[in-house]
Amino acid sequence: MTTNKRPLLRAENISKSFPGVKALSHVDLDLYPGEVHILAGENGAGKSTLIKCILGAYQPDEGKLFLEDSEIRLRTPKEGIEHGIAAVYQELTMIPWLDGAQNIFFGREPKIAGTTIINRKKMSCQAKSLLDELGCQEIDLTLPVKKLGIAEQQMIEIAKAISMNPKVIIFDEPTASLSDREVDRLFAQIEILKKKGLAIVYISHRMKELHAVGDRITVLRDGKKIGTYPERELSDDELVSLMIGGNIEEVYKKTSVPGRETALEIRELSDRKGKVHECSLQVRKGEIVGLAGLVGAGRTELSRLIFGIDKSSCGQVLLHGEDVTGKSPEYLVDHGLGLLPEDRKGLGLALRAPISWNVVASGLRQVFPHFFMNEKKNDSVAAEYIRMLEVATPDVQRNVGQLSGGNQQKVVVAKWLCANTDVILFDEPTRGIDVGAKAEIYVLMNKMASEGKAILMISSELSEIMGMSDKIYVMREGRIVGSLERENFSEEEIGRMMLLSGEGEGA
Amino acid sequence: MKKNTMLHDLVKGRYFFSVMSLFVLIGISCLMSPSFLSLSNFITILRQASILLILSMGLTAVVLTGNIDLSVGSSAALCGCVCAQMLVAGFPVILCMGASLLIGLTVGFINGLLVGILKLPSFIATYGMNMVASGLAMIVMNGGVIYGLPTNFTTLGVGYLGPLPVPVILAAILVVCMMILLQKTVFGRNVYMIGYNANAADYSGVNSLRTLLGAYLLCGMTGAIGGIVMTARLNAADFGMTEAYGLQIVAAVVVGGTSLLGGEGGVLGTVIGAIILTIIVNIMNIMGVNSNWQGMVHGIVILFVVWLDVFARRVGAGRALRKQRESVKRA
Repeated sequence: MTTNKRPLLRAENISKSFPGVKALSHVDLDLYPGEVHILAGENGAGKSTLIKCILGAYQPDEGKLFLEDSEIRLRTPKEGIEHGIAAVYQELTMIPWLDGAQNIFFGREPKIAGTTIINRKKMSCQAKSLLDELGCQEIDLTLPVKKLGIAEQQMIEIAKAISMNPKVIIFDEPTASLSDREVDRLFAQIEILKKKGLAIVYISHRMKELHAVGDRITVLRDGKKIGTYPERELSDDELVSLMIGGNIEEVYKKTSVPGRETALEIRELSDRKGKVHECSLQVRKGEIVGLAGLVGAGRTELSRLIFGIDKSSCGQVLLHGEDVTGKSPEYLVDHGLGLLPEDRKGLGLALRAPISWNVVASGLRQVFPHFFMNEKKNDSVAAEYIRMLEVATPDVQRNVGQLSGGNQQKVVVAKWLCANTDVILFDEPTRGIDVGAKAEIYVLMNKMASEGKAILMISSELSEIMGMSDKIYVMREGRIVGSLERENFSEEEIGRMMLLSGEGEGA
Repeated sequence: MKKNTMLHDLVKGRYFFSVMSLFVLIGISCLMSPSFLSLSNFITILRQASILLILSMGLTAVVLTGNIDLSVGSSAALCGCVCAQMLVAGFPVILCMGASLLIGLTVGFINGLLVGILKLPSFIATYGMNMVASGLAMIVMNGGVIYGLPTNFTTLGVGYLGPLPVPVILAAILVVCMMILLQKTVFGRNVYMIGYNANAADYSGVNSLRTLLGAYLLCGMTGAIGGIVMTARLNAADFGMTEAYGLQIVAAVVVGGTSLLGGEGGVLGTVIGAIILTIIVNIMNIMGVNSNWQGMVHGIVILFVVWLDVFARRVGAGRALRKQRESVKRA
């Protein structure tokens, strides 16, 4: 077994902070040759940060990396590759119109001796033998990769990683876009790599896969290492509870009681891109409804559909009983619907614009119904909301981009309060903001609910969604696969609905 | 808190470098020729600047949304040509001007649709429209030149109201209207918001299509007015009449400190930009610079002013970033 070998790569005491967030604190990780090491944890637990530190994309604030017992310092991913650390990402990083061989050797093409001319013959020869090694001879290397299937592209991506002769390969959610059959092939290849004595890091959210491929599992939560366990010692339920943490913290103090009237209802809503299938849900006045699920389950797409950014293919959206299917965001905003998007900086705010402008962005037509406006009234209206939400800023003239994440998020909330919104979709409202600001956002949401506003909250943090919601719908692969009332909330149940695919669901 | 924002913008705010460039230019011009600093030359400069200013007025709104319109010049020529053709055909002046305005608005509307609905990059879309409009102007003129227009029409270009030329007064009226529209209305605020972050505007329920159409309509309208005034001033029209302006219309906006990225700048900057560009030509004429050299000198000065602006912003942005980092560290 692995115990008598020396670790190939060892990360010791790694810490990494970003402004306002401690993403990793004192995390250890050791990888043995011929071992598949699973990294498990919720979104935001620090998995990506950790692998980026190992790859050289980030420099840890503290801690050391050892490769075969000698310390290494990686300043760029290129230095990581030179040391034999390669990665296969969830998002494909290929150039679609180049063929397989060109992609595998992109930037490292074999040259005709003494020239800078690419030796195409040698290149396709080498590419072919790489794919043979992986057992996928049938992939046509002469086609532009965009004409290949996703799984075949993934194989080429793996071939690219192997062509760098790595000692360590990191797979970051490689199966997100693969079907079950393709996943099996991938595992067969991982098995081959294992036999060759590589150390493999594998990140995935699919419980089934972790057991199929993993040897050991390291669980991260909130940037801390919870522990490393041999795969066969952990059951699904144990793993889920390790990932989400046992107890729900005190920050979620529910003060609101849901009313009876339905504020928002969607009926069998589907989108045109195949990401949302026949979703139905209801949110009552004064109610906070959670929408749980993994990243990529279609929750953000559903919120965009409700808010009219994307068009639906079938189904209905009812706002206060009125059918608003297919209406523009402008119409919906004027009728009391708001959306706090996941991407605060790209979609929620105009960072280069003053706070005062952002606060009134949605409510402008209501604050100034007669077409003409004036800056002074704008400033005083904005100042009022800034005071109400306790945004830390000396004035409302400065650009929103200068505020911290939590304060920026409060400005987005202010924007919807200013527009007199009574149904708000919160998409990951506390992403990337620190613990203190999180608690303030929760207080705000509870206050809004107790004032009779209806809230639909998307969140990938189970503890958050369980603490805040009166009711939780769970989404998986574009469908709403179940719902739970507050009294029936259980981490295991929600985790199971989120993670397990349909056929494996027992009682 | 309370400050006169217009004055603040001029001396400390976003127009600072444009204003400084203007003063430096005036200073140099005074040193080079004493006749530069005379009332009559001052009025000449204003008159020369007025048409450029009118042409670039609506464009300012388009650039503020983060887009561009390269068709203003040829659209203005088309409007001038149609106006002249109708005048010599004996239609009443009001009708001729109305028809020209309608054409300008149509060009703007089509540009707005191309960019807003078909989502074409505005650079290419309006470049295409530029060629369409100048082609149409050629057809309208059939290769000829029209001159000798009715005097009640040419007054618009050559007349005076008191000491001030009519085009200057027209330009001033347009500047005031545009400033109100962009600074004091919901529409204007949305123009800026789209420029700052079009996605965030969409996610805030701003109707970006309508706002974009509005900006392009304004651009088409001021282009048409510019074309009409120019026809009146020249007392003639041919399809290439606005060629001399060409990209100067865009340069006036950018030299005035309006960011091509959108969101930053405004009409006041364009006024300064148009005057800067005009003074460069004016002083070269006074000095008797060989006309072969004028284009090149003009270009160099434009490059310098834009570089200064970009440079200053970069320094300012760097300083702001450092300050932010320090405050994060402290906290």
